[in-house]
Amino acid sequence: MLKTSFAIAVSVLGLAAQTPAQTMDRTKPPQTPPIPAYKLPPVFETKLPNGLGVVLVEDARFPLVTARLNVQGGSKFDPKDLPGLAEGVAAVLTEGTKTRTARQISEETDGLGGSLGASAGEDSMTISGGALAENLAKLLGLMADVARNANFPKDEVDLYKQNRIQSLMADRSQPGFLADEKMAEVVYGTSPYAHIAPTPEAVQKLDSKTLAGFRDTYLVPNNGTLILIGKLPARAELLKTIAEQFGSWAQKPLPAPPRMDLPAPKRQIVLVDRPGSVQADIHVGRLAPTALAPEYFPLMVGNVALGGGTNSRMFKNIREKEGFAYDAHSSYDAHREAGDFQAVTQVRNEVIEPAMKAVLAELDGMAGAPMPAAELSNVKNFIAGNFLLGLETQDGLANQLVSMKARGLPNDYLETYTTKVRQVEPNQVQAVAKKYIAPGESAVVVVGDASKIGDALKKLGTVTVTKAQ
Amino acid sequence: MKKLIACSLLISGAFLASGAGVTIPVETYQLKNGLRVILSPDNAVPVVAVYLIYNVGARSEEKGRTGFAHLFEHMMFEGSANAPKGTHFSAVESNGGTLNGSTHPDFTDFYEVLPSNKLATALWLESDRMRSLSISEENLNNQKEAVKQERRLSFDNQPYQTAIVDVWPTLMFRNWQSSHSLIGSFEDLNSSSVADVAKFFKTYYAPNNAALTIVGDIQAAEAKKLIEAYFGDIPSEAAPKRPDLTEPPGFQAGTKVYKDAMARVPGVVMGYLGPKRRSPDYYALNMIDAILTAGDSARIRLDLVKGKQSVIQYEANLNWPFGSVLDYRDPEPYALFLLYNPNFTAKQIVDQVQEEIARLANEPIDAKDLERVKTQIRANAITGLQGSLSRARQLAQYAITDGDPALINSELDRMLAVTPAQIQAAAKKYLTPDKRAVLEIQPAPSAQPGAPGQKGDR
Repeated sequence: MLKTSFAIAVSVLGLAAQTPAQTMDRTKPPQTPPIPAYKLPPVFETKLPNGLGVVLVEDARFPLVTARLNVQGGSKFDPKDLPGLAEGVAAVLTEGTKTRTARQISEETDGLGGSLGASAGEDSMTISGGALAENLAKLLGLMADVARNANFPKDEVDLYKQNRIQSLMADRSQPGFLADEKMAEVVYGTSPYAHIAPTPEAVQKLDSKTLAGFRDTYLVPNNGTLILIGKLPARAELLKTIAEQFGSWAQKPLPAPPRMDLPAPKRQIVLVDRPGSVQADIHVGRLAPTALAPEYFPLMVGNVALGGGTNSRMFKNIREKEGFAYDAHSSYDAHREAGDFQAVTQVRNEVIEPAMKAVLAELDGMAGAPMPAAELSNVKNFIAGNFLLGLETQDGLANQLVSMKARGLPNDYLETYTTKVRQVEPNQVQAVAKKYIAPGESAVVVVGDASKIGDALKKLGTVTVTKAQ
Repeated sequence: MKKLIACSLLISGAFLASGAGVTIPVETYQLKNGLRVILSPDNAVPVVAVYLIYNVGARSEEKGRTGFAHLFEHMMFEGSANAPKGTHFSAVESNGGTLNGSTHPDFTDFYEVLPSNKLATALWLESDRMRSLSISEENLNNQKEAVKQERRLSFDNQPYQTAIVDVWPTLMFRNWQSSHSLIGSFEDLNSSSVADVAKFFKTYYAPNNAALTIVGDIQAAEAKKLIEAYFGDIPSEAAPKRPDLTEPPGFQAGTKVYKDAMARVPGVVMGYLGPKRRSPDYYALNMIDAILTAGDSARIRLDLVKGKQSVIQYEANLNWPFGSVLDYRDPEPYALFLLYNPNFTAKQIVDQVQEEIARLANEPIDAKDLERVKTQIRANAITGLQGSLSRARQLAQYAITDGDPALINSELDRMLAVTPAQIQAAAKKYLTPDKRAVLEIQPAPSAQPGAPGQKGDR
């Protein structure tokens, strides 16, 4: 009642006080033109004689440059007994070289109006830098120095080890981390994608020599790509600068890629016991194809429909309608050699049984019928719009290019991305959903208090209980 | 991808920012009902940010109604005459856009960023709730629960947050408008009524108390027509009073200890009341903050994190913790928050930071060091101009706080004009122990994380 009378009071006042606005139907969302076409800025590619790939994108709107040096040297190359080696190399890479102390590196970087850091993903390691456009040559000098000459000083390695062991403890107190860790183990078996973090014992074993050894093996020019975006100097001058900094970097034979023995997916239920948990973290997942597979775009569309954003089925049903959870989503991570699909939610202990059923029903639902046309069109707009929004900044485009290179995708990947999303048909989504989303061969990983939720889970099948460490 | 220069021909009131080397087009005008409009076209990427700021925040709350400004912000997502509850999320996100709202001490903002063909959709959504918000008992009760749950999840169940939102302001301020909790107490939230919501809406959510900023892929003439059509006939209201934020004289320096059951690592907050916005000392304190905490070569990082290994993590800025130098409206503090190695005491950490400040007060900064910090400030300013939402936020703040959105193109020059002598003078005048408040946040022994006592997750 109040709602209506208040609204009327306002609009009456409005008519009295103002000249009438042009007539317009406010009761419906406005008609809008179709999403605008957008052509990516041209991407120039070349290779140095030593094998280093070079990608240049001119974007002169702001006097800035963004740089990435991406090499195939991610955590999948960690030796079995040293999980976290790639991550450690990345963390200490910028803390000293043969000719610069950590203090000099940070002062020089800040003096360029810049930033410099490194990080390791599953497949690759990336050195990221940025600077005011006028300082590009100096930034490239710094990046080349850390890539080629990092010397991992003992005091910096020790400080890293001390802090990383602390933060690992914090990570392991989070149920979401424990679930991700167990799911990776279940999905990827004995393959190197199975570990998502170091162990404290492995961190303790790190020293300057081990870190330098990894660097010498994987940070080599024929194993990577340099990406530059921004207000760049003339092409010839820029290529000369790049050659000066990276041209004498010696090519090396690359080691054999790690073995990828991927287990066949099978239904299993694993409960990670975390006594005292008032919530159950539910993950349902399995192995999924890489971004090079023809099933990639249909599965990406299906994943967004199921659990991407607030219009997705999981959000609407598990959170909004049933009120089981605050977060209910799904994810599809396609690494270079294999991928995984997961549905994730966290629910109160008391509702574990109906919530489990609801999640499995949503997964089955994607396979049970083709997506309605309106839903499919919304999902495609969502993906296309998100992609556009990500291209506003130099960092956004740089991250897209890094992801493309890290995963070995073809050069037209970004250019054709939106078109390929638009081409996905309802029957294709249903076909991949039957294969990858329907939970027939999926693993169920739950982190929670076994004494509270164990019995409910047993109704779904045999439960393996492990301890949270 | 370089249309900015072409667009600047269309604009009025733009200045060349010599420091940034880039000019943001700015066109400002006002509708008859008082709504301020700021347009800044950039047709490089087909994305548009629609950013609506209301000149009211938590410091306008009345006693017994702590947390009300934020509760009201939630009500803005509960639907309006033509866009029922849920429409904002579905209309924006189904197009790949993003949206949000947030409540601050002195303002509340709402935004949509979306593909530029959807400009009219965002204007329809924002104008409909400004014109005809659905205010009902049911919606209010629903949002009281949502805000309480937000408090549990984001404050009560997190380390440090409760101390910072509930306790820290009481140490820095004595005027209740500034010292009360921005998230509010459960008791005050519970006692808010539908009549309170209706009154707040009428008083503060009128077009003459707001500014609409649109940045991105627009054609100005077409955008103006749409803005007039959607917002032009929303009635204005009597101009609301700004709260009196004057701090009584006689600040007492002091230290308070808060025992935090969620914290595992000890932390300390230290702060000093700062100068007037856009006064010479304001720029000098901003420079001091950059010297101490900006970038990898910041003094706190090199001397305390790496040198003494006493500090583990830190954050600081003018207007910490609820804002930044951009939305600073005096009175606000310069404050630092540091997590530290438990082998040290909070007093040792405070003394170490105070020593760094004393160094800035007693000796002029080395010219090379100052040059480096200025380069960082310049680069950060340019980086902050890249995204359309970030540009819109700046234009809106300069419009609503200083009455001049074109400051986006000249303010950097003021920031960079600070001299070593000004740094010394500002450190001596503002950052002394007798003007300092300290909050120690110490881990309290507690039950297991996630022990009984917490409510569910909704």
